[in-house]
Amino acid sequence: MKKNIIISLCLFLAAVEPILAGGNLLLKNGTILTVTKGTIPKGDILILDGFIRQIGENITAPAGVKVIDVSGKYIIPGIIDSHTHIALSGTNETGNTITAEVNMRDVLHAEDTSIFTAISGGVTTIHTLHGSANPIGGQNITLKLKWGKKAEEMIFAQAWPTLKFALGENVTQANRTVVGGEERRYPASRMGVVAIIRRELQRAREYIAQWDRYNEWQRLKMLNRPLLPPRKDLQLEALADLLRGKLVARCHSYRADETIEFIQLSHEFRFRVACFEHIPEAYKIAKELAAEKIGISVFMDSWAYKVEAAEGIATMPAYCAQQGVLVSINSDSNERIRRLFNDAAKAIKYGGLPEDEALKLVTLNPAIQLGVDKWVGSLEVGKHGDIAVFNEHPLSAYTRCDLTIIEGDIYFDREAYLKERQEAQKANPKPKLSGGGQ
Amino acid sequence: MKLKKLWFLALLLLITPRLMASGPTYAIVNCRVVSPPLPVIEKGVIIIRDGLIEAVGEAGKIQIPEDAEVIEAQGMIAYPGFIDAHTNLFLETTAAETPQQPPTARPPTGAVAEERSPAQPEFFVLSQIKPRQTIINSFLKVGVTTVLVAPERGIFSGQSVLLNLNGEKPEPMVVKNPVALHLQFVTARGGYPNSPMGTVAFIRQSFLDAAYYSNHLTTWKKSPRFLPRPVYNPVYEALAPFVNERKPVIITCNNQEDIKRAVRITQEFKLHAILSGANEAWRVAEELKAAKLPLLVALNFRPPATSLYSAQGEAVRRKAEQEVYPANPATLQKMGINFALTSLGLSDAATFQKNLQAAVKAGLPAEAALKALTITPAQILGVDSCLGTIEPGKIANVVLSSGDIFDAKSQVEKVWVDGKLLKIERAPEAKGPATISVAGAWKVTVSGPMGEMEMTMELEQEGNMVRGSISSSYGRWEIRDAAISGQELSFTLSVTIMGQSMDVAFSGRVEKDLIEGTLQVPGGAADFKATRIPREL
Repeated sequence: MKKNIIISLCLFLAAVEPILAGGNLLLKNGTILTVTKGTIPKGDILILDGFIRQIGENITAPAGVKVIDVSGKYIIPGIIDSHTHIALSGTNETGNTITAEVNMRDVLHAEDTSIFTAISGGVTTIHTLHGSANPIGGQNITLKLKWGKKAEEMIFAQAWPTLKFALGENVTQANRTVVGGEERRYPASRMGVVAIIRRELQRAREYIAQWDRYNEWQRLKMLNRPLLPPRKDLQLEALADLLRGKLVARCHSYRADETIEFIQLSHEFRFRVACFEHIPEAYKIAKELAAEKIGISVFMDSWAYKVEAAEGIATMPAYCAQQGVLVSINSDSNERIRRLFNDAAKAIKYGGLPEDEALKLVTLNPAIQLGVDKWVGSLEVGKHGDIAVFNEHPLSAYTRCDLTIIEGDIYFDREAYLKERQEAQKANPKPKLSGGGQ
Repeated sequence: MKLKKLWFLALLLLITPRLMASGPTYAIVNCRVVSPPLPVIEKGVIIIRDGLIEAVGEAGKIQIPEDAEVIEAQGMIAYPGFIDAHTNLFLETTAAETPQQPPTARPPTGAVAEERSPAQPEFFVLSQIKPRQTIINSFLKVGVTTVLVAPERGIFSGQSVLLNLNGEKPEPMVVKNPVALHLQFVTARGGYPNSPMGTVAFIRQSFLDAAYYSNHLTTWKKSPRFLPRPVYNPVYEALAPFVNERKPVIITCNNQEDIKRAVRITQEFKLHAILSGANEAWRVAEELKAAKLPLLVALNFRPPATSLYSAQGEAVRRKAEQEVYPANPATLQKMGINFALTSLGLSDAATFQKNLQAAVKAGLPAEAALKALTITPAQILGVDSCLGTIEPGKIANVVLSSGDIFDAKSQVEKVWVDGKLLKIERAPEAKGPATISVAGAWKVTVSGPMGEMEMTMELEQEGNMVRGSISSSYGRWEIRDAAISGQELSFTLSVTIMGQSMDVAFSGRVEKDLIEGTLQVPGGAADFKATRIPREL
């Protein structure tokens, strides 16, 4: 009996360990949806040392390379989630209103089981962010979901470093129950939010000037008196990096008016906004967003869950994409993250996007938004071997992800996983009620 | 008659000064002396005088002083007193913080602002030490004679002290104070930082500010003209030597990510860091080996909440606690990583001993375990010139065990701390196995001459070992040395009422839903009656 428990435990643990293929892999006879270069009805993909080396028909594997026959299945680029909060030990630092100094890189959580959930839905890259509690939140990070590997090995180093901003009801804490006698935090209104962000950016400007002055004085050695450097302030360093172009802004935003206001702020202080988050009213300012080349990272069909989300529409993502806005569908969740392909399919139903354009919402477009489209987001020779294999067309309602591959290594194999789970159950047929689950 | 009186006076004069100064001289003879890295002495003699080890060597080669009390130790093994290099026990607050006070007695929020401060590097834990005889006794019983007591609240929680458990008041116990600044990845209650990433940012900014403050101060002292003087800041004042002069910082790491965080911060600020806790150290052994940081590994085998084992439910978590985490010290040892072992995070000394045996069973060689409890912690804490081995001139902290100290059947027979032979109190031997379970919650009524008192009692039982606590409106008190044999239950309760501590002994009989017996309090006895509180489903 005791032995059984140990065996089942081992299997249980083994079941969630990744199966490594060593970065060399040949997928044969699948329908390849490259996203950028059309569809190959029956083709092969060769990955060597983690990179896609060949896409075509009748490719033979070099000696020692593992071959998987995926006849009847569909091969797409690994799905990319432009906005989530998984794989972290914290979400919001609510102790202050401005927390640009906090960096999500410091709280990576490699054993978060949400990573496994995500790869079971074909997700290979995520942008995981600070929450939206503060007008200026923290610095975020892009990860490859190499489940079972150490946190540092997951970091997608080439991705843009980003800084989270947030506007609207979350920041003003408009949806909180007001407790009698408790003070409300500043800012408690939309104009307050813009004002405090402008104030902080102004401080950052002065901070840069202070350091420039100090460096100049030091260089010239003109001053005949003791010279102290300015105090190094990690919060202002982050904001200064935004103004210096070393960080790009990602801004949680719902309403069209405050979004336009934030764009004006970015002109005033000359910083780059990579993306607006959620923004259900994007369809009202699609032309402006397209002209500014600012992307949007949105929910497919979720709105009206708070006042500022009241005017969302199902055709928004498709409409904006048609207007030339760089649109991605995000999960913002550890559950929706496993069915982003379903969300992409809805953009065909609501708004009539072509298949490739719909797939781009969860592959190439988020890659561009994160600055990593050179390496991921489509199936092209030279890009990373990040791939999801589906049993049916990935935009079908009946599809499911069978294989998730990152840099040529298999991190999720549905068949192997189910087999291991069955064996574990056989070895220990009556698991205690307290066991399993979170 | 007159002569007799004179002789007595002379004797008094001769003996008294020595007695007053340092207690008797001891000669422990015919024991095996095991004190790595020194060679084992199969049949040895240890002379203890004036609180120090005067001589140690093979029997026959060491002269036994005439005034020495000879301790025959044939068949026993002498070890250097163990050093527990990180514990939170012995703190007044450990007991005072937990009491479930009546809600009205709670101070209004905001009144305890200083407690909320995430930075109190200027705080010395010595001011808060409350050595309880029962806890000291429980440590002596497992061979621990020296403990590093560390503050436990806040991110920069304060500075620790190294104590010899010699039964004195706190001041004569002190071996070294302060030892190190303690840093932990916790969040502040209410204010900033209240997230893990906020905590890391706060630590970085604090070190930067301390260095900046100290630079400003030095520059100003050198040439104050045309330079505004820095505003005096006690926090940065206390923190600066740790970032400027490499004074030791002990960083508590509760999981593998904490360890990597600590390594990064150490490297960024070039700290003299010592990592503590680290029960997942084996998972980041490569990083630790490269970083070359001293390690104080806690014998706490509970998987951290962040681990995959914890995420898969209680059954998997418990299995990992029994089968995976106890191998941490053994794996580190195999990888050539040096470490000391500590009781950090454990509830008592008995668990420390149990887990120590588990670590040895999981593959940690006995000699490595012994080093990790003696010479290694002495070196890490910078006291190896006076502690850590049985060598002439060192402090006489000696443990005499009936057999191999890692063998569960052995027991510590005698302990010297600072050359004092201390009395080890033991719970009465259980006469037989328990025939009834006392586990659960109980409603207790104590009636004495002063009236009645209502309390609640929570008990856990494992064989005839019993653990638990009693709560009343005065606070929560731990039950110690508890045992049940047949239906006879006995335990000791360390009671603190209005700052006064005392030990209370209970003995009585257990029925299915009833416990009846007497509490022996100093100066009297009280009736003790407990009825079972039905478990809510």
